[in-house]
Amino acid sequence: MRRIIDFLIKNIHSLTFTFLLSFSFIQIIDKNFYHNSKFNFYSNSMINSINGLKQNFSEYFELKIINENLIKENTRLKNNSNNIAENDSIISDENYTYIPAKIISNSIKFSKNFITINKGINQKIDVEDGVISKIGVIGIINNNSEKFSTLISILNTDLKINAKVKSTNHFGSLSWDANNFQIMNLDDIPKSALIKYGDTIQTGGMSSIFPENIPIGTIIEHSLPDASNYYEIKVKLFEDIGSVNNVYVVKNKFKQEIKDLEKSNEKY
Amino acid sequence: MKNINQLVFFRFLFIILSQILIFNNILIYGISPNIYLIFLIVFPLTYNKSLFYIYVFIAGIILDFFSNTYGIITFSLLLSAWFRPYFLKFSFGHFDASKVRKTADYIKETSLYQKLTFLILMYFTHQFLLFSIEAFSFEKLDWIIKKTLISTIISIILCYIFILIFYTKNAR
Repeated sequence: MRRIIDFLIKNIHSLTFTFLLSFSFIQIIDKNFYHNSKFNFYSNSMINSINGLKQNFSEYFELKIINENLIKENTRLKNNSNNIAENDSIISDENYTYIPAKIISNSIKFSKNFITINKGINQKIDVEDGVISKIGVIGIINNNSEKFSTLISILNTDLKINAKVKSTNHFGSLSWDANNFQIMNLDDIPKSALIKYGDTIQTGGMSSIFPENIPIGTIIEHSLPDASNYYEIKVKLFEDIGSVNNVYVVKNKFKQEIKDLEKSNEKY
Repeated sequence: MKNINQLVFFRFLFIILSQILIFNNILIYGISPNIYLIFLIVFPLTYNKSLFYIYVFIAGIILDFFSNTYGIITFSLLLSAWFRPYFLKFSFGHFDASKVRKTADYIKETSLYQKLTFLILMYFTHQFLLFSIEAFSFEKLDWIIKKTLISTIISIILCYIFILIFYTKNAR
């Protein structure tokens, strides 16, 4: 204890100096918007490149499992090769282009989860592009740097996705309540829809972000609250967001055109 | 030397106020001259170092508030305060710090070149730090250097006049 006090007394000047300097630096970063965003940009790109390195390492050790999965997928694809146009939704829609990407960091433990993928501006990925896997929706890009992008995960309470029931074509919005990472809520399906346990939920065509008819999950529970015209539906996802690795970024070729058109309507 | 605290405090008030009220409103080639650095230049050498840093910090905070640059002036002022002893040694040679009590002694006893070297070193470092922190990246290095040079020249001319007017009198 005495030594600590001695040390403090001996170095009081440089300690004061360091303290004041760091205080003013924090103020610069905290109060100025420009410096704040610039600082975030630098720190994010550094963290992302470290994460990419880590991913390279861990990928090497998982090669065997990935190999097995690929063999499984291959056999499944071979079995389905006759009716491929029906099953493989990924090549069915011509308005969209698909860019394969890898997830390098992921979380499912928060209420607002974000995912980072290893493609960015260099691969022509824009903010508001959708991200899907073969059996589910993953999220929407919200930020990108030259080599990396972050996306709002589907497991984020801020995100709502347009979805429909496959058998009846009724539209609703899919959101997450931060409880179970495999269960999501589907709202706004009207009373008149004849839904039942096990119905498939797909993406609807109402947004320009995701193509239509990408499978999302199945209904595991539905109820009609008193005096309400809409169902409360719980959906179990096909995709396990916690373990997904290979994803596709979906770009709508006509997104700009649609946006411009909608903007011109706002004048009226 | 019992009123050294008063001396420092009045200098502090005087320089900060003249910067805020007068020199912040003057624009020469798009730059307002930084008089406040005189406070650092003429600060008594034998004063407590921690108090010196705290004085500089408070001065920077006040100036930051009045020019809407949160923390930028404070940061560069503190760094220049840290550089000051090295520049003193470089421009005035080895000296006995305990003997020299007032900056006015410096002004009387040293040559013009020594004074100018010190002023240029202090101002150039400070302005360079200030503008590079403001830009926060070295992509605009030519802009930083251009601004630094112009403001250094303008500020040094004004600062030298300022020192000659107010501090040679104190020597007696």
